[in-house]
Amino acid sequence: MTSPRQRAIAEFILDHLVWFMLAVVLIAFSIFVPNFFQIGIFANIVEQSTFVGVMAIGLAIVIIAGHMDLSVESTAALAAMITGILFCSRGIGMGLTLTPEWLVIPVSLIISLAVGGLIGCLNGVFTIRLRMNAFIVTLASYIWVRGLVVAVSGGRSAQDLAPSLRIVGIQQLLYVPLIAWIAILCFIVFSFIMQRTPFGRHITLIGGNAVAAFRAGIKVDRLMFISFILAGAIAGLAGWLLAIRTSGATANLGTGMLFNAFAAVVIGGVSLKGGVGKLPGVYAGVLLLSSIHTAINLMGLPAHYTQVILGLLVLAAVLLDTLKLQIRQRFA
Amino acid sequence: MNRLRRLLTASIALAAVAVATPAFAEDSKGKIYYLVPTLLDEFQTESVSAITRFMDDVGYEVVTLNADNKTDMQQSQMNDTILQKPSAIILAAVDFNALAPSIEKARAAGIPVMIFDRQITSTPSDLTSVAGTIEIGQVAAGEIQRLLKEKNGAVKGKVLQVLGDPSDPYTLDIQKGFEDKMKEFPDVRIISLPAMQWEASNAGTIVSDQMVANPDIDLIFLHAAHLSVAAVAALEAKGKKPGDVMMISSNGAPVGLDLIRKGWLNVEVEQPLYAQAAALAMFADKVVNKQEIKPGNYNVLGLDSVMTIENWGPNIKIPGAAITKENVDEPRFWGNLKAPADKIQPVE
Repeated sequence: MTSPRQRAIAEFILDHLVWFMLAVVLIAFSIFVPNFFQIGIFANIVEQSTFVGVMAIGLAIVIIAGHMDLSVESTAALAAMITGILFCSRGIGMGLTLTPEWLVIPVSLIISLAVGGLIGCLNGVFTIRLRMNAFIVTLASYIWVRGLVVAVSGGRSAQDLAPSLRIVGIQQLLYVPLIAWIAILCFIVFSFIMQRTPFGRHITLIGGNAVAAFRAGIKVDRLMFISFILAGAIAGLAGWLLAIRTSGATANLGTGMLFNAFAAVVIGGVSLKGGVGKLPGVYAGVLLLSSIHTAINLMGLPAHYTQVILGLLVLAAVLLDTLKLQIRQRFA
Repeated sequence: MNRLRRLLTASIALAAVAVATPAFAEDSKGKIYYLVPTLLDEFQTESVSAITRFMDDVGYEVVTLNADNKTDMQQSQMNDTILQKPSAIILAAVDFNALAPSIEKARAAGIPVMIFDRQITSTPSDLTSVAGTIEIGQVAAGEIQRLLKEKNGAVKGKVLQVLGDPSDPYTLDIQKGFEDKMKEFPDVRIISLPAMQWEASNAGTIVSDQMVANPDIDLIFLHAAHLSVAAVAALEAKGKKPGDVMMISSNGAPVGLDLIRKGWLNVEVEQPLYAQAAALAMFADKVVNKQEIKPGNYNVLGLDSVMTIENWGPNIKIPGAAITKENVDEPRFWGNLKAPADKIQPVE
């Protein structure tokens, strides 16, 4: 028999396991990896978490809702390329200028969100309206949207982003660039939406049991559709941030980020079966991955180790998820 | 009824195209397939335009197939292409060694194979046109030695080398050429890290981390110009100005030339794309007709190039140039995207 206090402690630890893992990893790296323990490195980790982190928010929402979105990486790349083409002054950039200059920030952001939202909307139409399998639909989008990136760019790159937009990537607040603060803000806002609003709670319910949610009067199709649009728009935001960070866009920008985003979502405790998961955990998962990438960079290990460690971590996360379920049953 | 009419019209149009094609084919000496490794970087994209243009000058039609950096896909493309019985195949291999059996298969079927840019020495081919990836690393090493000496009074200091994807032999060859040349300078510490999948933001992350962990880095050597864009953005975010950290990159893409003009890049080691492509066109007739290619010096778009007969066949090596602020605007550099206006003349 366990007391309610013991049970509460166990629940707390299980709910925040990924944060504990992050703390342990950071302490270990600080002790054993030369030059790791310094404010600049921690700021880098937060900054590098920006793109995968933002992308993972949309992905997590769709997965919590019981579906899948493989198109987020290509969507981000398309948003980045369109931002680059419109607002870069070199390469294939058209060097569009607006008066006053600061208008570039909201206009480019709205365009990126719209591009992402449109791809998400298409995914939603095929998946929700036409009842096609989300995995296949978004896999197709993953391929054709990347193809579109190559087509619109002709394989060439855009560089020299408008200075008023670059400021977002250069300016720092408490050693951390503004783009990273945008990612943190996104996590706070969407965590609130997912946990404290009817929309978030309904999405979680739908992911847990769509039939039960439908019988309870929740507009399942409508909310699912919105989740796809949200995932696309958030991926568009990730692309906008990526273009700002790299001061432009190349045709292969963002390649490989989908798998990192998936890893972060799984490590962060989101169940691929849907209905379970919290966004703060996802952020911890992203930070964990970035810490490992940074440590490997500093140790000068071959990059293949990152992939090995990443794979093992995902496996460990799924194992932990299974263990957590068993432990919870014991305490129940 | 309308649908039937549309279908009929489409069929007639298709038939017209089919009838018209042989007429076009009569003007052409034949089809040459160009197997490009990827279209995700500017060198490869421009190589498609250059090869298509130059081959057209000498009477060949070019069909391009993109392997998306996948060895297995390129092997399949080779198999498919062999069945089309083209006049020749131009191959820029994803993997230098893995494509050797496919080259042997094509040649056994009587289809000549020309190698573009990525030298394959493990099996014979009919013509190789390269700048030499190892040589690019060596040229970069020479420039880095010069820059370090100018800055530190001797060839000493710390160099960050940002490779491309570690599974790509192209970047490994550049690394080999560079590190072999730098061995004689033990006072130079080289930190080598790969940008996975040649993805620019990965290069930015490496530079960002290393500038914190090793703020005394003198020079950054990046294996492709598009990686240097992200590296510059990362340096800018750390408050660096052009010239604070010396930089070199390779391949001579337009982005690299722009960064030289802005003062961020000191040197760009060029792969002479136009000349490499022009050399293929100059010798295309000889390759297709299986005539002897004589060794010696040839002038390819104004560059003194050397044709040698190697174990793997005729090999023309075109010198790669070091592009600096002084010569960056010269039209001969492909990064300026001014393809030569004169028609390519076949070698007699």
